[in-house]
Amino acid sequence: MTISRRDLIKNGLGAMALTFGANEFFNLAAQAANLAPRIPGASKILVVVQLSGGNDGLNMVVPYSLGPYYQLRPTIGIKPEKVLRLNSDVGLHPSMTALHDLYKVGKLAVVQGVGYPNPNRSHFRSIEIWQTGDAEKIAETGWLGRYLDVCCAGKEDLFPAVNVDPMLPKTLFGSKVNVPSVSNIEDFRFLTDPQYKPDRDVQIKAFNDIYDSFHLKRPHMDLLRKAGIDANLASDKLHQLVKKYSSDVTYPQGPFGNNLKFISQMITGGLNCSIYGASLDGFDTHTNQLRSQEGLLKQLSDGLAAFHSDLKKNNLDDDVVVLVFSEFGRRVAENGGRGTDHGTAAPVLVLGSAVRGGVIGSHPSLSDLDNGDLKYKVDFRNVYATILNRWMNCDSKAVLGQRFDELGFLV
Amino acid sequence: MPKSSNSDSFWIRHLLRRAGFGASPEDLQHYLKLGYEGTVEELLHPESVNDDALNHKLKLQAFDYTNIDDLQRWWTYRMLSTKRPLVEKMTLFWHGHFATSDRKVKNPYAMYVQNMLFRKLCMGNFHEMLLAVSKDPAMIVWLDNQQNRKGKPNENYAREIMELFTMGIGNYTEKDIKEAARAFTGWQAPATGFFFSKGQHDYGEKTFLGETGKFNGDDIVRILVAQKATSNFLARKLCKFFVADAPDEALVQRIGQVYMDSNYNIKSMLRAIFTDDVFLSNKSYHAKIKSPAEFVIGTLKLLQINELDAGIPQAMEKMGQSLFKPPNVKGWDGGPAWIATDKMMQRFNFAAKMSTGRFNEVLKQSTPLQIVEKQGLNNSREIVEYFLALMLDSDVPASTQKRLITYVASDINGNPVDRIPDEKTLDAKLRGLTHLIMTLPTYQLS
Repeated sequence: MTISRRDLIKNGLGAMALTFGANEFFNLAAQAANLAPRIPGASKILVVVQLSGGNDGLNMVVPYSLGPYYQLRPTIGIKPEKVLRLNSDVGLHPSMTALHDLYKVGKLAVVQGVGYPNPNRSHFRSIEIWQTGDAEKIAETGWLGRYLDVCCAGKEDLFPAVNVDPMLPKTLFGSKVNVPSVSNIEDFRFLTDPQYKPDRDVQIKAFNDIYDSFHLKRPHMDLLRKAGIDANLASDKLHQLVKKYSSDVTYPQGPFGNNLKFISQMITGGLNCSIYGASLDGFDTHTNQLRSQEGLLKQLSDGLAAFHSDLKKNNLDDDVVVLVFSEFGRRVAENGGRGTDHGTAAPVLVLGSAVRGGVIGSHPSLSDLDNGDLKYKVDFRNVYATILNRWMNCDSKAVLGQRFDELGFLV
Repeated sequence: MPKSSNSDSFWIRHLLRRAGFGASPEDLQHYLKLGYEGTVEELLHPESVNDDALNHKLKLQAFDYTNIDDLQRWWTYRMLSTKRPLVEKMTLFWHGHFATSDRKVKNPYAMYVQNMLFRKLCMGNFHEMLLAVSKDPAMIVWLDNQQNRKGKPNENYAREIMELFTMGIGNYTEKDIKEAARAFTGWQAPATGFFFSKGQHDYGEKTFLGETGKFNGDDIVRILVAQKATSNFLARKLCKFFVADAPDEALVQRIGQVYMDSNYNIKSMLRAIFTDDVFLSNKSYHAKIKSPAEFVIGTLKLLQINELDAGIPQAMEKMGQSLFKPPNVKGWDGGPAWIATDKMMQRFNFAAKMSTGRFNEVLKQSTPLQIVEKQGLNNSREIVEYFLALMLDSDVPASTQKRLITYVASDINGNPVDRIPDEKTLDAKLRGLTHLIMTLPTYQLS
């Protein structure tokens, strides 16, 4: 049996006693055997990008045709002539030219007004709702963690998913799987004393033997053992993959671009993994939001376009879909500091060659508001259900607990 | 108090890992003389402890408080060298509680001023602390109260003061947030410090948590600190920080009651925690994942390394804890969240650096052979036992001890040897051994 990070938190010491002797979980040989390369076309890959802080959806997908938009945003409204038009109602922020190009060739879908009932305007609760897929109670696992539990149970993969963000999002918390995090591949290597090079193998062997049989009744022990063993195994494997990579695509500078490039390296290198998690932070624009959001949206747009073209060059673009979401949109009316406070519904982006491009649904009303906030049009779980059923080939009800209608953004 | 069957020394070391950043051998001698209760009281009364040595050291470094790298190094020096460890630990607690980041504030000097505020009030009255933080320039910039004006409220501070600083989510409405935001209008912080802008303040009547009046920020703070939800929230957070990642619920209730009974006195809560049976039980021993600050500073203390360079704050950052740059206003989640695969690797690699490059400083006055001779260590088993006891309370399974002995009793190609052939091999094995000990699962625990 295995035990997850969440169970450890919930059950603490009590649960620990059950796990002693859970040796198969740490069986190095079994894990290594699961590292066979992925066969292109044989499985689908999902990349989830979280825009942290609450992205202002109204300035990313601008409802330039709706009068109240300019009345409620006299200083931060994006002028109609600057908007990159998607249709006669809405258009992208002017810094998103690269994604606009992909929209024009039908690779980008924009789902409008995505939210959930009784919106929560706390960053931390709302992101948890999006990550877990449960808007009512505090769930211990993420929606993709449960997908891995349901659809990948029994396989003790080293890479059920890979998180490239500095923090592991709850999206990837499962009860049967542990998802490795690698935010900087350069640093992800077991160092030993350079003076005594031959001793390196001796040390690593000692390390592995010790970790394999480290049974002690202390909290967090399985989590620590798994992380230590995975760290060494994953480091070897990932360095091999990265070495194979040769791409001339230019990604935007900074951690977000680097992380997308790293994901591309793992995919093109043949890593047998179906889910990748990344994020871009800084969207909590209470003050002077024009400039900060512009820079972030440009990074997002340029980064995703580079990622897409990188995959296309390797004939892998048909295998990969990218989902972009944020914990909430922002208040319709700007505040006194040329910024916006926490709001509710916002658009979700879906990108990929398997995507049916276009604008999905109508824009939420800007005059019929709920306490100054948009009323959502589409439940975020409709988006998740579509991806689970149609892309991940998994019964979404088993992951989401109930049936949600599919949307039409996949071919 | 029933400190189970273990010795005073055992629990003093436990206390120092939690209420400080571990102990150097020299520190430990001092506290052992005081005994457990004496140590608790000394930690709670920092004003009675001379910290001139630290101040002298800081002076020699001539830190530039307008430079964030200097500021990080300045704080790590304090953590490492202070004789008032609980002050620095509590300052770190408040930094994580009122989590403010220089990434947005972009004013290291304001971050320094805020840090000194935390230090000054760290064991005082929570009402005083919350009021001071509400007027702190770095906080005002961080949560946008600068832009919170009459008729054009900015809700950021009003929301977070309730969700993250006092009551916790679920204890207030969106209306309460809007009303509190009005009360904080005009609380600004130009370069000169806190400033109450009368022209920007909304003097109208507000209804907040069931009370109605022409409230300003002082009233909101007064109402918030008196809430039962605040006592629970703060007590739970302190227990998580000091006792266990999943704290005992009855303990949380007890500490919350102390908050109420002591008129919001933080020192009283701390004393109650450090003398509680739960804190002094086997259930709490090695029950918390070390934060990067605890891991790094604790290791330096253990190895008696006294000089710090920029690599130290950087190492903490790579493990997920960048001082003055918490990830968001919620601060560091702590506990299992510290243990991602790559963060674990960073711990291993810091250990590698300490046992290779940095270890040279320790060894300046004593070669490996001298350590072994001085301690009268005659064979691999004695060497392993000595270092496991020194670094880890020997809290490892028998299989680990055995495997480490096999490691030391081999040459650098891994071939078993009857006795360590030469001093060079001994050097390699001592460095390798200390590195391996620092990578052990229990070494990650506090």
